[in-house]
Amino acid sequence: MSNSDSAPATAGDASVTRPHKWLSLGRIWALASSTFTHLVRMKVFYFLIIFIAVIFGVGFLFVSLSFEQELKLLKDVAFGAMYWFSTIFAIVGTAILIPRDVEDRTLYTILSKPVPRFEYLIGKLLGVLLLVGVSLLAMDLIFSGILYFRQSTLLSYAALNSDPEAASQMTEMIRAQGHSWDLQAVVFSIFLMASVLASVSMLLSTFATSTMFTIVMGFAVFMIGHGQALARNYFLQGETTGAVDRLITVGLAILFPDLQLFNLVDGVASGESIPFNLLLRITGIALLYVIIYNFIAYLIFSAKEL
Amino acid sequence: MSEDFPSFSNLPPSNQSQSLARFIVSATENSTPLAVSIENVTKVFPLPFRRGKGLLAVNDVTIQIPQGEVYGLIGPNGSGKSTAMKILLGLVAPTEGKSFIFGKESQKVESKQDVGFVPENPYFYKHLSAIETLRFYGKLCGMPRREINDRAEEVLDLVELQNARDRRLGGYSKGMLQRIGLAQAILHRPRLLVLDEPTAGVDPVGSRKIRDLILRLREQGITVFLCSHLLEQVQEICDRVGIIFRGEIVREGQLEDLISVEDQTEVLMRDASPELIQKIRALIDAEGTETVRVGKPKTSLESLFLEHAASDRKKNG
Repeated sequence: MSNSDSAPATAGDASVTRPHKWLSLGRIWALASSTFTHLVRMKVFYFLIIFIAVIFGVGFLFVSLSFEQELKLLKDVAFGAMYWFSTIFAIVGTAILIPRDVEDRTLYTILSKPVPRFEYLIGKLLGVLLLVGVSLLAMDLIFSGILYFRQSTLLSYAALNSDPEAASQMTEMIRAQGHSWDLQAVVFSIFLMASVLASVSMLLSTFATSTMFTIVMGFAVFMIGHGQALARNYFLQGETTGAVDRLITVGLAILFPDLQLFNLVDGVASGESIPFNLLLRITGIALLYVIIYNFIAYLIFSAKEL
Repeated sequence: MSEDFPSFSNLPPSNQSQSLARFIVSATENSTPLAVSIENVTKVFPLPFRRGKGLLAVNDVTIQIPQGEVYGLIGPNGSGKSTAMKILLGLVAPTEGKSFIFGKESQKVESKQDVGFVPENPYFYKHLSAIETLRFYGKLCGMPRREINDRAEEVLDLVELQNARDRRLGGYSKGMLQRIGLAQAILHRPRLLVLDEPTAGVDPVGSRKIRDLILRLREQGITVFLCSHLLEQVQEICDRVGIIFRGEIVREGQLEDLISVEDQTEVLMRDASPELIQKIRALIDAEGTETVRVGKPKTSLESLFLEHAASDRKKNG
């Protein structure tokens, strides 16, 4: 180390005590951006290359299908890819964060700084959601671009039809299956679902002893979450009147998020429109889930001994 | 205090000013908080599936470190050193007792504003470079961006990592990681530095530099609390030492007091002739005092290593 007397004001100079802020967006952002950078440098964005290849393939190779089928297939494949990527990433990406920090003892150096534990959790979650959000945005741009291009191509073919009525009908059907703002609403609903899953994964990782446990339990919640509506309807429609069954139903509803609420893909892929108040409702529900799961995660993590 | 300060108004004017000065000094000394105050701290880690039983890691430990002191806590593996340190840093909650950093309860987040910590075998985010790591920790300490950038350059220069500033920490050696650990700990100019085995796994040259840095920090009034197995190094830099065994402080005190062999005296001479030595031995015998040892003092392997390293550097420019 530098022993020179002319070395700059170095190991301490005058010590400085800064006033402590109870909540600091700067600290949260530092944690979030570090998490985002970490995940990006794990080269997860390489999957986008696969996504582009698949979407291009679907967009330009299946021209033998009817235009309706072609556009529907493109939407199904794109939304399917976005859905699965977001789900896997939300669960796995979050599951590795805290255990790795504990294992590597990086958590000691972070929490020995004036960083409240709740800021640490929020920062980590935000980092994962940032990655999911950016990825969805990229996929959406690629998909929308290809969809718009195919739609334009099909519209120009429809315009060449000699029968004006047939041409008009074709044009209408192409536009119904083509690009619309409802598609962006579907992407947003996928993001909301990913947020809820990431929060569940965060909660699990605060008490889990291994990353594998968190991932497995995260996917279990994912599956139960998709079946929760069915189970709820089965138990509450009077098929069975046992008190235990009703208790199970209530327990399921409280513990596991109803992920079916965020599934707008099927409807939109068939050409249905999404009302704005539905979008608001699912946003509110997602926010509630995120707050509740993260609050419980904070209670567990704040008592955790490192 | 009332004995030292009789009724102020009854004093003649010249005594009043002296009395006031003494009062202010005394009040200031009494109100200056200790840098570290660990008070009767006990920690029992619960054992799973064994109700009522636990692992006693630290038992009624009290450590008080005044500001500006270098305090060494030594003890074997599993003696409770790291647990005591973690309690101080708020990473673990004590079962009983309390700890304070500059008068603030150490379990509270605001107390950490004044602390820099280097854990044993530090690991940091491998995906970040040195400069990114320092920026990250600087932001966590609430430093403004400009100050972080300026200060990061200073500390990288201090720990001699300027040439590796843009390299990711995943490619760093152990010694380099130790140095970046020190860099992030002193980045925000803390008043207290907590070091857990600061020279573990570091070569003698690096070890000497860390020692010099600690001494320089002490000169600047920074309090240092360190744990180490390397007793010789503790001996070189610490003002006071606490020895912990099985969770209890068994001895504590000023280093000089602890290591002095009270009933022996050491005299070192240069170029003493055999005749002179003979005379001195005869004098000792005449006094009835026992001669414990006469011989050549030994240098240390560390000094030999450092000498060689220095001459090698000179040779290669």
